[in-house]
Amino acid sequence: MSVIAKRVRALSGWLYVLPALILVAVFVYYPVVENFRLSTFQWNAFSTHPRYVGLGNYAGLMADPVFWRAIFNNIAYAIVSVIWQVGFGLVLAAILEETVRARLRAFLRTVYFIPVTISITVTGLLFQFLYHPQFGLVNRVLVILGHPQWTHSWLGEEATAIWAIIGMSQWQSVGYVMVLLTVAMQKIPREFYEAAYIDGTTKVQAFFLITVPLLREMTTLMMILTISGAFLVFNEVKVMTDGGPNNASQVLGTWLYRSAFQNDQMGYASAIATVIFILTFGAGVAQLWGVRGKQVEF
Amino acid sequence: MDRTASLRRRRWSLIATLLVFVLVGTCSSAGLGASASTGSKLSGSIVFLERWPEPQYAPFWKKIVADYLALHPNVRIDHQAIADQPYKDKIRVLTAAGQLPDIYFSWAGDFANKFVRAGLAADLTPYMRNTPWGNSLAPAAVDAWTHGGKIYGVPISVDAKVFLYNTKIFANNGLQVPKTIDALITTCDTLRSKGIEPIAFGNKDGWAAIHYMTSLNPKYVPRATLDKDFEPSTGEFTDPGYVAALNEFSMINKHCLTQGANGIDYTVAQAELMQGKAAMYYGQTVEFKTFTRAGGAPASFANNWDFFPMPPVPNGRGDQNLLTGAPDGFMINAKSKHIDIAVDLLKFITDRQNAEAFTKTLGRLSSVAGTATSANAFPQLIKALRVINSASGMNIWLDTILHIDIANAYLNGLEAMLNGTKTPDQIMQDVRAAAAKVRANP
Repeated sequence: MSVIAKRVRALSGWLYVLPALILVAVFVYYPVVENFRLSTFQWNAFSTHPRYVGLGNYAGLMADPVFWRAIFNNIAYAIVSVIWQVGFGLVLAAILEETVRARLRAFLRTVYFIPVTISITVTGLLFQFLYHPQFGLVNRVLVILGHPQWTHSWLGEEATAIWAIIGMSQWQSVGYVMVLLTVAMQKIPREFYEAAYIDGTTKVQAFFLITVPLLREMTTLMMILTISGAFLVFNEVKVMTDGGPNNASQVLGTWLYRSAFQNDQMGYASAIATVIFILTFGAGVAQLWGVRGKQVEF
Repeated sequence: MDRTASLRRRRWSLIATLLVFVLVGTCSSAGLGASASTGSKLSGSIVFLERWPEPQYAPFWKKIVADYLALHPNVRIDHQAIADQPYKDKIRVLTAAGQLPDIYFSWAGDFANKFVRAGLAADLTPYMRNTPWGNSLAPAAVDAWTHGGKIYGVPISVDAKVFLYNTKIFANNGLQVPKTIDALITTCDTLRSKGIEPIAFGNKDGWAAIHYMTSLNPKYVPRATLDKDFEPSTGEFTDPGYVAALNEFSMINKHCLTQGANGIDYTVAQAELMQGKAAMYYGQTVEFKTFTRAGGAPASFANNWDFFPMPPVPNGRGDQNLLTGAPDGFMINAKSKHIDIAVDLLKFITDRQNAEAFTKTLGRLSSVAGTATSANAFPQLIKALRVINSASGMNIWLDTILHIDIANAYLNGLEAMLNGTKTPDQIMQDVRAAAAKVRANP
């Protein structure tokens, strides 16, 4: 091929990529940069002149107890989500693959996945009934089991609100991770398991020695998705408690929304948005860096 | 030779067709103007934003706009509707983008005053003070839209907060409508002893508790002090009446209200009343329709309820005759190029015929006096309009009349108090701190 033809070939590659690149640059990267610029001002929809405050909004964030409460809630969300959705999802997928008959397996998979398809508004309503202090199922079951002292106004008390929401979220999302891990699991050649069983490995040992290492890519992806999802959570909290009571269940997303559209502090909200970006970006990069070069192949 | 001729023919036929379209177009628009002989001189295009997109209300607004356009053929209206929940963010986005509509919905109080302070609300005093139009609207409603002596909004509906009660439960237990706050608490004790929830209460959104304080504060604090404290530049909240009011609410909570209410939605509280599990519910007249057969309430309740306003506090230093509630309304963008059209449309919306249709379709009380009759409203609604028109004044919801930072101190403080994690004194400390910050940064 001539030099010119090679050049054209290389350039045409860029041509194919350019539209998508432009879209991402305009709709993702430009807003991130612009958002950071806006966070250096104090302004709202009604201000005639935005006031430059440099890093004043960030200083305000550091001193804001609700901000730290929100970060704590997001971290709690992330930790529980990873343990339950990825950890328990993996175990659930393995159990279904290894120990359950085919017909029952398909049925159970559907049962676990259905909550994922239900809209958050419906789920929110459903769980508000479940968590109702007088008529809710949760408290009624506790009373029947003989533990009335464990009953709470689950969404109404500052100590329990965020955990009640996290619980609802796990119920809704574990099926999603489980199905994705099932797909990845089905790609593992059966020969590995058969060889292991012949050698006397138990099912549990096979799980830890074969399944987990070979699924590392998928579990890493699931962890990144779950953790960034935990830092980006908004709908669940907004629908269930709107960040209350007394800001106890605020997460970064809802605190951002309230600062922007209720408290009329858009610069402050932009600062929160920048923090969310740094946290999720950092978490993603950290995980990818942590598993580089550790891919397992038999 | 043939080809050129046919091309030329095609070119001419194309030009001829275009000419026909142009002629028809101009003729038809001129024809439209000529055929409507109302002689209306208003012409221009405005954007009209209201907050009733729901399928049961949308046809009403569409019809009003269509009727208006039929009368004013040279006017174009871009009619938009956003629901209540997303309205607060959408209007801010529009404002920030410089796209505030010519007519936009607003709540009275500080929400409206924000637009006034930003120079985005047209001064409607010349159109509404001592004019036939202005006099047709309820005085308390127009008063709520007045800021600094000028009128900035047109009230469209009035709303009041009252105690709805189940008349059957009251009769069965020999209870009368309480005439004082203490009598209300005694009534609650009696109901509780019979295993009935006295007052259904759901505070998940935070405003339910704030509405109680909206009613209680004016009973303990003199009116002049309240007005001074509502102004962001002069608010201090040092009157001991504020703490007394919070203590009273704490008593009401202990004796009357559903416990654990921070986790309960207000619609669940409504349901508790309708199912006969609770005897009372502190609700708004705009909720009345929910409690009728037409609104979906069970027949056992729909015919057996009445209401009474918050009873007076015998030794309270404030005005005991004020009614809690606020008118919704529309404001006009001060930067609009067609304020005349906007005013005319709002006059049309609040004329007698449309106001009666408003009450009939939306089940809400119109701000236009005398428009709730047995032809378009059920008995409780007619009584409500009488009660509102005879009120000496209205207490606007505390969370909309206060600067948002002070309102937040109340909202969060009350949620904490219901959980037992804050005392009335601590709440007022937070309120005073927020007020100090607001005074320093107007």
